[in-house]
Amino acid sequence: MTGWSKLACPAAFVLFLAPDAEGAAAKTSPANAATNWWSLKPIVRPVVPILRNSKTEIRNPIDAFIVSKLREKGLSPSPEADARTLIRRLHFGLVGLPPAPEDVEEFASTFPASPRPSVPASSAKDAETRRHGDAAIERLVDRLLASPRHGERWARHWLDVARFAETHGHDQDRVRENAWPYRDYVIESLNADKPWARFVQEQVAADALFPGEPRLIPALGFLAAGPWDESSLRDIREDTLDREIGRYLDRDDIVTAVMSAFASSSVHCARCHDHKFDPIPQRDYYSLQAVFAGVEKANRAFDPDPAISKRRADLRAKVVALEKREPAFMEALLTPAMQADVEAWLARELAAARLIVWTTLTPESVTSLNGSKLVPHPDGSVLATGGRPEKDTYTFVAATELRGITGVRLEVLTDDSLPKKGPGRQDNGNLHLTEFKAGAAPQSGGEPRAIAFQNPLADFNQQGWTIQHALDNKPATAWGIYPEVGKSHQAVFEFAAPLANTTASRITFVLEQLHGGGHLIGRFRISVTTAPRPLSLPVLPDALARLASTPPADRTPAQRQELAAHWLKEKLTRELAAMPKPQLVFAAASDFEPDGSHKPPMGPRPVHMLRRGEIGRKLDPASPGALDCVAALPARFDLAAEPDESARRASLALWLTDPQNPLVWRSIVNRVWQHHFGRGLVDTPNDFGRMGSLPTHPDLLDWLAAEFRDRGGSLKWLHRIIVTSAAYRQASNCEPALSGAAAVRLTRNSKLTHGTMDADNRLLWRQNRTRLDAECVRDAMLSVSGQLDLTTGGPSARHFALGPGIHVTPTVEYSKFDWDSPAGRRRSVYRFVFRTLPDPFMEALDFADTSVSTPARAESNTPLQALAVWNNDFVLRQSEHFAARLERETQGTGARVKRAFALALNRAPTPAEIADFVPYIEQHGLAAFCRLLFNSSEFLFIN
Amino acid sequence: MNPLLLQNELNRRAFLCRAGATVGTAAFADLLASRIFAASPAPAKSDRWPGVVRPFHHPPKARRVIQLYMAGGPSHLETFDPKPHLAKLHGEPMPESITAGQPIAQLQGNKALKCFGPQWEFKKAGQSGQEISEIFPKLAEHADELAIVRSMHTEAINHDPAHTYMNTGTLISGRPSFGSWLLYGLGSECEDLPGFVVLLSTGKFGQSQPVSARQWASGFLPTKFTGVELRSKGDPVLYVKNPRGIAPGQQEDVVRAVQKLNQLQNAVVDDPEIATRISQYEMAFRMQASVPDLMDISKEPASALDLYGAKPGDGSFASNALLARRLAERGVRFIQLYHRDWDHHGSIKDHVRGTAAEVDQPMAALLTDLKQRDMLKDTLILWNGEFGRTPMAQGNGRDHHQKAFSIWLAGGGVKGGVTYGATDDFGYHATVDRMHVNDLHATMLHLLGIDHTRLNFKFQGLDMRLTNVAGEVVKPLLA
Repeated sequence: MTGWSKLACPAAFVLFLAPDAEGAAAKTSPANAATNWWSLKPIVRPVVPILRNSKTEIRNPIDAFIVSKLREKGLSPSPEADARTLIRRLHFGLVGLPPAPEDVEEFASTFPASPRPSVPASSAKDAETRRHGDAAIERLVDRLLASPRHGERWARHWLDVARFAETHGHDQDRVRENAWPYRDYVIESLNADKPWARFVQEQVAADALFPGEPRLIPALGFLAAGPWDESSLRDIREDTLDREIGRYLDRDDIVTAVMSAFASSSVHCARCHDHKFDPIPQRDYYSLQAVFAGVEKANRAFDPDPAISKRRADLRAKVVALEKREPAFMEALLTPAMQADVEAWLARELAAARLIVWTTLTPESVTSLNGSKLVPHPDGSVLATGGRPEKDTYTFVAATELRGITGVRLEVLTDDSLPKKGPGRQDNGNLHLTEFKAGAAPQSGGEPRAIAFQNPLADFNQQGWTIQHALDNKPATAWGIYPEVGKSHQAVFEFAAPLANTTASRITFVLEQLHGGGHLIGRFRISVTTAPRPLSLPVLPDALARLASTPPADRTPAQRQELAAHWLKEKLTRELAAMPKPQLVFAAASDFEPDGSHKPPMGPRPVHMLRRGEIGRKLDPASPGALDCVAALPARFDLAAEPDESARRASLALWLTDPQNPLVWRSIVNRVWQHHFGRGLVDTPNDFGRMGSLPTHPDLLDWLAAEFRDRGGSLKWLHRIIVTSAAYRQASNCEPALSGAAAVRLTRNSKLTHGTMDADNRLLWRQNRTRLDAECVRDAMLSVSGQLDLTTGGPSARHFALGPGIHVTPTVEYSKFDWDSPAGRRRSVYRFVFRTLPDPFMEALDFADTSVSTPARAESNTPLQALAVWNNDFVLRQSEHFAARLERETQGTGARVKRAFALALNRAPTPAEIADFVPYIEQHGLAAFCRLLFNSSEFLFIN
Repeated sequence: MNPLLLQNELNRRAFLCRAGATVGTAAFADLLASRIFAASPAPAKSDRWPGVVRPFHHPPKARRVIQLYMAGGPSHLETFDPKPHLAKLHGEPMPESITAGQPIAQLQGNKALKCFGPQWEFKKAGQSGQEISEIFPKLAEHADELAIVRSMHTEAINHDPAHTYMNTGTLISGRPSFGSWLLYGLGSECEDLPGFVVLLSTGKFGQSQPVSARQWASGFLPTKFTGVELRSKGDPVLYVKNPRGIAPGQQEDVVRAVQKLNQLQNAVVDDPEIATRISQYEMAFRMQASVPDLMDISKEPASALDLYGAKPGDGSFASNALLARRLAERGVRFIQLYHRDWDHHGSIKDHVRGTAAEVDQPMAALLTDLKQRDMLKDTLILWNGEFGRTPMAQGNGRDHHQKAFSIWLAGGGVKGGVTYGATDDFGYHATVDRMHVNDLHATMLHLLGIDHTRLNFKFQGLDMRLTNVAGEVVKPLLA
């Protein structure tokens, strides 16, 4: 319609044209906005507010910022939560599991018993109690941060941001067998408290920045963690427009992920035009695309051991040098030591009679029985073209001057015109040689006499279709080469008796191919030899075999080089094959095994700016770089002389982590804050631009960012300062009295409360109450039922039955999984995540949509969620295990109720609760009671 | 939009404690425990979402929508867009002027692109003389009810993004689908069923790619507006059946006890999230009874089953069409039926006829049935795929095609017997009266009493809407 075409903007980006008041206001030119926007300003450490006459407790600078902001509004913070609430909050927050009843008891015994008002200590005794409490919290926090469970909990937060899943997504949602090493890398990095800058650098350019530490290669799994469009990027021809579009879109996924995850920047909105709201020109976006122009998402091989990694790289480099015939390398092949090795090898092969000289026969005629068009080529080979019959028999006639022929070699050769490059004509590249026959006659004339063959050999035999079948006179059997298609093969047949000819002869070969289905030879060549029997398969190409049979003194230096090169290549290939198998990780890769038309890029691909993001409207080529609006750093990378693509990624990694880059430090401290308070200081954690929210406490955010950066980027320091603050330790379920001006207003308006003045709790006058996320629900149930298996790492636990699908995407049946099998008991972070076929139970509990970066989970409340937590097999099974555990550990229904409360809710039941639940259990059973606890809000929420 | 309503209902983090109260855990526990089994459950108060469009922006013509979603990409050239010129050029090279610079999906190999003529005849049907393919003989009897649009186009060439485009009006992930917007706007009329229901069926002829549940997700709208898939085989809703070994009475006891626990906690902390949680448990419990009853079509008279060609429990499109009528009767606002059988890359002649036969009778039956019940006048029916198929051959089939495809509408407020828009002689480009998916959504919302520019939701600082910045009501389709 007209309204649409006037806008002429691809629908994906109309978001940024929304015509409302804010939108209109923000449509200032990017240049004006560049330096003024809060997130782009340099981070200057703010002065910590000094609060005079504070009636509230200031434990660390965080509280000074929070309380001063509350005071401005006449609000005051809540009292500290009680011991049970705090330990439960800290456990779920830092390790994602409930505390054991013993831990709760121990903690409560060292922590002041009743909720204390959050006012400064007024007496020495009070101060003493307080010190005890602080020490107890610090001990607990240190213990939790040191636990391997901590990395597992926080890795999942990061994996959400990284859009990590273990299948491709899109229409062909294939399983990625090698995605999991990235997940383990994240867990290990967080447990080791790797400095944030280093963590970022590794995920963008571990290969380039830390080449001596190949075990870090799985870090590059970040770049490849998102969806990958297999049908566009593997299955269609490389030279199509659709492939090119596919590549731009795939790089878009990478650019979007990197810039939202590390820099909280929505640079992807500048794909079609300059960013409407942020100072990001389209050129910046395509510069970022250019950074990733030399990588693809693929299975990347790596050797965690640096010594092995180096050895493999050295051997590979030599092979490449040989293949390129690099002059310096070729010169070294003529050294006496090398030549001595080569001569010794040739002597051994000669002694073993394996250096056979084969003479190619040029056909006088070659004919087809069923109409294949057989075309002889100058190299002596014959190519089948034209219509492909079901079956055929080729007859090949050639004259030769040789006397005493002892055998024949049949080569079946690849050719670009054949399906899968052949050597067969069948759609899959295969062939079936039913019988191979020959006859000889004097060239002068006469009837050919049959030649009997013996001892057939082939360099590859299809299972059940061996070369012997070409001589067995059975029409139903044959020689085949599947699945080794796309490669040439050869077979050698000895004559039972050497040809006893005294004059030139004419030999006829008959190749019967009677299997049907077009299993025909696509291209072949026939050679003969007079070498003494037994014959073997060639160890050298024909030209070299001929050279080898000449005396060494007669060989030119070039010929000696060629022989040495061949010998060395074989040797290197053998040595490479003998090395331990490399590990694989699905990651960004510049070099990988080709799969279909998905091939290594061989250097950065050209990236153009696209007018309106359309492939048909290419503008200038883009050069690698980042955002111009970060004023302190150069926006374009000076890499004109650098052919290696990884230098581009290294430059971006260093740009991102530069102490002067204001985005990265603000981004991560906000994410950590978000998970401790249920919401970030900026509640759009992936977007610090004008489309995002403003920080509620800009000074606090900057103070944290500056401290975090200058203290070396330790996440554990950040966790510790946040969770030991009074702000974090507040109760979530009560409301403090108003103070100051608000209290005065209160006298006039009795409806004025914290709840009405800041209903959303943006100023943090209390903690936020949050629902356990999907992983915590599942892990807590396993923990409480006693079933949790704390094994770490390795391939993911698949909680489904996998079956073949109609097309590529398999069928995935979650209902068929046995929850008592070992995989069912692992922590949820080790769960296999299927991108388009998510686990319905986890989905009902708001697991991340892994097609995009998920900076914050939804906290939904649907009837489906209610049904899932009620009736899902996993919950029912864990209720039974929980009941069995209670029966095992305690006697008597009353004691079991107590134990159940201690395990599931971390508190003691009241006498009234015991009185109610004992008859309930007697009527419905212990498992029903356990199921009830799992469904209670008190279990599912953290106060 | 009523801001107060939003404040209360949507701001799920708002957490209004009692003024001045400091309730410690022990006190809370006392309150909780002493009353678990003391009283009978409070009668469930209605927590139906009333919708933000109150009053209607203008008088509505339709009250509900049934979308017949032909997933896989039905060929417009074999269904609603006759192309005699293309038929004449069958087997000839496709003019490069048409295809140059266009994405052509997976058509590959060294072969030139060739025209592939329509495989079935078109017939004039009804008083209006609408041209409909012979593979839809029963639907053709309703030609005068249909408004056929031949000038749809899309931006996506693979199934999943094209579905996203059709459902949400954009390629961006995380936006609400039409059904979610409608439920958010008009609310639900139904106490014991979700207001947005999805049914899926699979045929025997196409490559039946799965349709992701993201297609009926609520995006940035609250999750209670997400479509609920009712599965026609196995459990209609996951986990809706009582688990094995648990008797219904026992189940109810557990449910009631959980409800009491949560209600008591709510009384203490007054967290709207707990209140919602209670209402969702109520809905879940009601669904345990209502859904199996809804899904059991064996109680329908034989004449109804015959009309649709449905067999109870077969999971067919026919059964789903009958269920659609039952859902409409029960007040469900948006009913989406996916039939995943239209991806005809090969053997399109036989396969498109086969797939058409799977839906022809049920579609006609639904129109007849609704009319007999006097419900067609306020039920808006939409028939669509996510894209069309190429006029070029892909073997003896057709590939995905984004530049043109056909849809039809019928029922509440739709002008029947109309054909709108046209494609070029090849059926390649939509050329006359091009209709964007935003226009389709604007038109449908219009029929439902909603001005599409006024159904907004604040997200990331912007007033977002289903039709983005575009969309025009297509007046010629209105009765």
